[in-house]
Amino acid sequence: MASGGKWREEQVLVICPGSRTTMAQLGCGELSPPHHRIPTRMFRDEEDSNLWRPYYTYKRVTTIDGVENEEWVEDVDEDKGAVWPIEGGRIVQMDAFLAFLDHVHGLLTTTYHNTPIMLMASPQWTRPDCETIARYIFEKTKTPALCLIHSGIATQYGLKWPNMTVVDIGYEKVDVTAIHDGRVINHMDLGRPQPGRHISGGEVFTQKLQQLLTDKNFSHDMAEQLKKSGICEVLPYAPSQKNLVVLPVDTPDAARSAAAPSKAGGEPGAADSTTADGPAADVPRIEEPSRTDDVVMEDNEGTDTNIDDDGVLDVATIVTSGQTKEFLAKKEKEKEKGRPGRKPKADKEAEAAAAARPVRQPNSKKMRNTFSYEEIIMEEVSKAVPVSVVELEPTAMQGVESSSAAEGVPAVAAPDVAADAKPPAPEAAAPATGTDNEPVIKSEVKSEETNVNGDGNDATLATIPDSKPAEAINGSNGNDTTKADDATAADSNEPPELRPRKIRREIEVGLERFLFADRDEIDRIVTTIYRTIQGVEDMYMRPACWDNLVFVGNGSRLRGLKDNILQTLHARHIISPSTATMFTSELPSNVATPAGTGAQTPVGSFAGAPHQLSTSSVNPLLQAATTASTFGVPVPGRDSNSIQVASGSTPAVGSEAAGPASGHHFHSQTPTSIKTIALPTYLSEWSKNGFEEAMFLGAQVASRIAFCLHSNMDAQAIEAQKSMSLSRVDYNEHGPKGIRTHSMLS
Amino acid sequence: MAQQPLPTSAQPTDIYGGDEVSALVLDPGYCNTRAGFAGEDVPKSILPSFYGHVTSDPPRDLFGDECIIPRSDFEVRNYMNKDSVVEDWDVAAKMWEFMLVKRLQPERQTPPSKNKLNDDVKEQDGEGDVAMEEVETMEKALEEFPLLMTEAPWNSPKAREKAIELSMESWGTPAFWLSRTPVLSSFAAGKATALVIDVGGANTSVTAIHDGMVLKRSIQRSPAGGLWLSSQIRNMWETSEPKVDLVPTFMVENKSPVDALAPAQARLREFPYKIHDSFRAFEEERLLTEFKESVVEVWRGPGRYGAAGNEEYIKSQPGRVFEMPDGYNQMWREQRFKVAEGMWDENAGYPVPESERLTKAQTIPELIRSALNAIDVDLRGNLLANVVVTGSTSLINGFNDRLNNELTAMYPGLKIKIHAAGLSSERRFGAWIGGSILASLGTFHQMWISKKEYEENGVGIVEKRCK
Repeated sequence: MASGGKWREEQVLVICPGSRTTMAQLGCGELSPPHHRIPTRMFRDEEDSNLWRPYYTYKRVTTIDGVENEEWVEDVDEDKGAVWPIEGGRIVQMDAFLAFLDHVHGLLTTTYHNTPIMLMASPQWTRPDCETIARYIFEKTKTPALCLIHSGIATQYGLKWPNMTVVDIGYEKVDVTAIHDGRVINHMDLGRPQPGRHISGGEVFTQKLQQLLTDKNFSHDMAEQLKKSGICEVLPYAPSQKNLVVLPVDTPDAARSAAAPSKAGGEPGAADSTTADGPAADVPRIEEPSRTDDVVMEDNEGTDTNIDDDGVLDVATIVTSGQTKEFLAKKEKEKEKGRPGRKPKADKEAEAAAAARPVRQPNSKKMRNTFSYEEIIMEEVSKAVPVSVVELEPTAMQGVESSSAAEGVPAVAAPDVAADAKPPAPEAAAPATGTDNEPVIKSEVKSEETNVNGDGNDATLATIPDSKPAEAINGSNGNDTTKADDATAADSNEPPELRPRKIRREIEVGLERFLFADRDEIDRIVTTIYRTIQGVEDMYMRPACWDNLVFVGNGSRLRGLKDNILQTLHARHIISPSTATMFTSELPSNVATPAGTGAQTPVGSFAGAPHQLSTSSVNPLLQAATTASTFGVPVPGRDSNSIQVASGSTPAVGSEAAGPASGHHFHSQTPTSIKTIALPTYLSEWSKNGFEEAMFLGAQVASRIAFCLHSNMDAQAIEAQKSMSLSRVDYNEHGPKGIRTHSMLS
Repeated sequence: MAQQPLPTSAQPTDIYGGDEVSALVLDPGYCNTRAGFAGEDVPKSILPSFYGHVTSDPPRDLFGDECIIPRSDFEVRNYMNKDSVVEDWDVAAKMWEFMLVKRLQPERQTPPSKNKLNDDVKEQDGEGDVAMEEVETMEKALEEFPLLMTEAPWNSPKAREKAIELSMESWGTPAFWLSRTPVLSSFAAGKATALVIDVGGANTSVTAIHDGMVLKRSIQRSPAGGLWLSSQIRNMWETSEPKVDLVPTFMVENKSPVDALAPAQARLREFPYKIHDSFRAFEEERLLTEFKESVVEVWRGPGRYGAAGNEEYIKSQPGRVFEMPDGYNQMWREQRFKVAEGMWDENAGYPVPESERLTKAQTIPELIRSALNAIDVDLRGNLLANVVVTGSTSLINGFNDRLNNELTAMYPGLKIKIHAAGLSSERRFGAWIGGSILASLGTFHQMWISKKEYEENGVGIVEKRCK
């Protein structure tokens, strides 16, 4: 017990609670996306209000052989009467939250004594909150060690850049955390519960959407599904437009195209040469971002593209770095290479476009578009399933659900796969390129025909549990206009009364699907990002924060949102190089110390705290990537950093030369550039899942470091590791307040 | 549970030993109010002392930076006045409670006896007193937390009494202490004796501290702080050729780069309601802060800025460019020194309305001189060897060098040593950090005013004890 790091990777319980959904998993060995997504809710026990139940429970009276039996039934999907212990990141019901932790623990593991816990904490958690949690965990369970990790830091561990600004867009809150050298240096949030709460985040958009569509009787759930569908998007920021957005205009052409897709949809022939925008308009387009040139998105492949996009500033750094010639040569080559490579495709596209113009229009150009809404209704069927057994994907309710499907019955996942594979070109290709940002809507099957096909296919795949119900559904599909979902195929065949069925219907939506992108909300987020970074006290840290933005949180999955925020930041806040300095030799104040272009000037001496530790036993791939990325980081502040410390702490007499010599401190105006970070590419599962949940990845990485590193550590590293988590020994010594010093909360 | 059981929430409240104390530290200033737990190195909660006030019905107050955004019927107010003394006690109480309770404490909910943690420990608690208990917890939000508050050295006895009353009566704190900011700043610098030069937002003060006590006669203050500097910058922009428009960031929707000195090309935001002047002024101050951070510099010497040849020398040096939120940009050379010079030399700087003009006695060197003249000659040497510089306006480039030059010129032959924290946060939150140190010392509980003492003596005790 004396030292930490005596656990195996598969023993660690990782829990990342959110206001709506909690991600959890036992084991941190695979660095996989979370195995479990559990709604963060508890229900008061009806009989003893001090007790909490994990599921909605109701009494049901059944009559068997004339005898009335009362029984308690748990409905795992029901939300009625739920208490959500976290609101806007803040714990509002501690006892419910603790009961919830217990529930999650019980769900994933049966033993306590050898299961250290990694628990992610929102920045809104207060110190007493953390202490209460620590006390509960150590006094009520036999957990050997607990590590609380700040969600921003967790994200950083997941993405492995020493300096970052993490913008976490959640359900009803937005957190902006500036991190420099692994330390939280500033934080601001929106949507904190307080008198007169003004929520922020994904829910704002859903509400706005619902509000716009009240005439059409949209329910909250419909709005939520519409938001997650591919047709809902935040259009790019258009600086010169009146409403800052270019909306599609109503032309006859557009009208035709809007009508077209449902017809054209199922025909594989028409489909195959199209881009993702094609027939199944719901499939999100892949290369959506960076429509304006100055925004560098993470999907630009490498530094070269960045240089290209950044224009003047980086030219300056290239010149100063003395690599001009090579650079130009490289560029030239690229151009030559790029042209023939790209042109044929463009031509083909143009041809294809000419062939089927109405179909080809991207979502953003269409006046109207359709999405298919899925709802679960309870239907009386002679042969139905007891509610408690239904492991139906609760997709509709709790966010993105791709991998949790896999966790259940294998057959549940199968339909997706089947449908993906079935209609040949476009849809199968789309997910492969990482489109399933919105897994919920992937694999829409459009025409009746294909649908039957798909279902048939399922049925064969789904035979593992039971094939009969699946066939039954197929049968009913024929005369029903709505289409039963494939997932029901997985149901077992026990025989009570009510049976949930997934109904899918097509709903057409007009411009509301763009108008919901509330400028006020986006402006709030933009302002918060700006203020957070500009509010960092030490100026030299700001450029690094501006150059390493990352958007996480499932609220940021909304199509186009990140881009729009970035575009707004660019259009509003960027400081351009001034012509005033044209004839002076000195760099203008608003140009940072020439930053190395990265690749050529390795910053070998990097020693950020987290990485120091991580170098020994983490997956070699990961490690390689980490070190590589470290070399790549342009850290303009770094030089001034050391000087700052040196000259700052002891302003000795005459230390600063007479005269207005600058350069001792970093006093430049920021931001001169705004970039998002490059996301890791070595974790394919995460690339597929999307890094919106990077904090979970980071929590796993941190778990390994805190709990599973054994060898090759010097005294300092052991000490550092010890302070990462609170072990039972430490707890016994310090009590709950030990969590103040033994955690990763700042 | 084989492990040694720890006391549950029923911790004895009468014995606080050493670092068991979980005190709170509250440091209100004109620009910011800082609050946090003692023993930590930065305040957890930092809010502008400016707050939003919605004038439409029902009027309400909004606290925190995230609330200060353009809205209709919205004013920005400050509960402190420019002397760094609380002006509006009603709002002060609300604001402090917001910070100490809402931000630093968990959500109030079921009392500890009901939260299951203690179920096995003391089940005997009857159901009857639950309701009462709830009322009590609502009333006494800070029952377990001693509170240390800071005050300006010139705080009025009335305000001090008000502070202890608020703390004891409204929040039910078990203990209270009031400490003057310069004393705490010197603690933060690790000194019990020091000459504290605090260049803050609304004020600059010079105070001599001896053995942890303020030497009352030495207290000197003047408005030569951040706000005054802002007015200088405004003036400079006003009189500059071409005139520089002060368009705060919130007004700008987007901008296009323009040549230096060329008119700005920006699209301004339009608001369907009237933006109150106070809001605009608050936002302008943000911009001025940015300008101070990146452009303004104190002339380091030799001699004053006005001395022959200095200005010509500076003009030959490269300047600094500043881009306004609307894209207008310009190079600033000698002007960026001139704006700050008024703090040192009453004849320099930009002309301001007579009411804002600094007299000779209000410049920083004169403040120091009068402070030192007011105290025993024997102490001066020691104080000059322990000069502590704090306050965020002291972060302006070149400040310490200039101060050192001035002091050397004023007191030749005496050893002068300036202590200024290297970390910006330490300079900005000097007093809070000192408070954090003081309140986490084991001896803090020997010094504070306990609830019992307060109940016996009433509010007057603060005047007797917190000297």
